[in-house]
Amino acid sequence: MALSPLFEKLTEALRTLPGVGPKGAQRMALHLLERDRVGGERIVSALAEALEHIGYCQRCRNLTEHECCAQCSDPRRDDRLLCIVESPADLLAIEEAGGYRGRYFVLHGHLSPLDGIGPDQIGLEQLEQQIVQGSFSEIVLATNPTVEGEATAHYISELLTPYGVNCSRLAYGMPLGGELEYVDGGTLARAFTGRLPYSSQ
Amino acid sequence: MALQPAYLLHRRPYRETSALVDLLTLEHGVVRAVARGVARPGSRTRSTLQPFTPLHVMWRGKGELKTLTLIEAAGPGVLLAGEGLLCGLYANELLSRCLPRDFAVEALFAHYGALLPELAVPAQRAAKLRRLEVTLLEALDADPVFSVLKASDTGSPTMAALHPQERYLYDIGSRHFFEASHSQQGVDGRTLKLLAQGDWEAAGLARQSKWLLRQALLPLMGDRPLRSRALMQSLLEKRRQRAPVSS
Ligand SMILES: [Zn+2]
Repeated sequence: MALSPLFEKLTEALRTLPGVGPKGAQRMALHLLERDRVGGERIVSALAEALEHIGYCQRCRNLTEHECCAQCSDPRRDDRLLCIVESPADLLAIEEAGGYRGRYFVLHGHLSPLDGIGPDQIGLEQLEQQIVQGSFSEIVLATNPTVEGEATAHYISELLTPYGVNCSRLAYGMPLGGELEYVDGGTLARAFTGRLPYSSQ
Repeated sequence: MALQPAYLLHRRPYRETSALVDLLTLEHGVVRAVARGVARPGSRTRSTLQPFTPLHVMWRGKGELKTLTLIEAAGPGVLLAGEGLLCGLYANELLSRCLPRDFAVEALFAHYGALLPELAVPAQRAAKLRRLEVTLLEALDADPVFSVLKASDTGSPTMAALHPQERYLYDIGSRHFFEASHSQQGVDGRTLKLLAQGDWEAAGLARQSKWLLRQALLPLMGDRPLRSRALMQSLLEKRRQRAPVSS
């Protein structure tokens, strides 16, 4: 049963969010209308501002409302390292993990011949420009360990060969704290081929 | 239904946690199905359902779109990287594009399975892809017919055998050959006779078999070229551009 056309419209709109079904959308709508109208206003203005102003960073294609994103304009980051990721979510994951202090480039996708997605659709021309203008010595290919992510990494490494930069790829590893017995065959096989010399130091 | 041997040709996201998959199966050919929940973090089938891995699957549903009820690895997957991986994607794109749904070709399934490990070996790639292309063309009754079309006085063309010393071009429409004029290069009859015997993988005939199969595949492709092939070509082109000019 619908409360009103506007209420219906609101729950419909909320359902565009990932993980939100009809029940969840109804709960959210009721919460905003019944208990937190101020919070609702905040969402409205934040969303409108974000949609209007957030675009791609001119250097790395990360999301930002500025010409250059926070990672690109931070003078303390290492200008010799460039990490290529498929999505802003991957960038955030690496930032949250800590340890990496270089620059980024965001593809917003991967090469996928069977979906008709080629080099033009993932900003590779802009990437080449960054390499020419920058002074990178190592490119970290951090695309996903999927067939498409792997093909993308291969294509980029070939593309960048003339620029004399070294490309590295994130290692395939065993999940931390996991048990060998429960790791799937594909991961285990990759971890085996990518095994490292043992050092007890 | 019984367990069905299968390979994943392609998967794309479907709804929030599922995937829409195209499978090459032994007894049902290319089947499109929904794999429920495989995109959920921590899903066990997420890493099993990968291209280039022999699978056992079961599904329900009689319509165009099935629902997978079981996905298991039937053996270790082939670890492809670099150019081998692009060749694998080419094979997958070729089969997804050219094979009609639910059209089973057991020979094709067998060749595809045998092809995958060979793609890890650079020297084998071209020959094994040609073998897959021939098998596909034969299955679809679209393979070249090794005889010559000749214009005749009566108007209707006559058929003749290939002559070893003569040079020929391929006619896509009729799937036959015709004599090349002096200005056209073409391929000699001796080579074509070898291909007719099935010598598609012979190293010395690599260029000619590629030339012929590419043309024979054209009618199956429609007007969109294969993306994976374009990708390989653009890499080759870049490599050629930076190679030192040799005399
Ligand atoms: Zn940036």
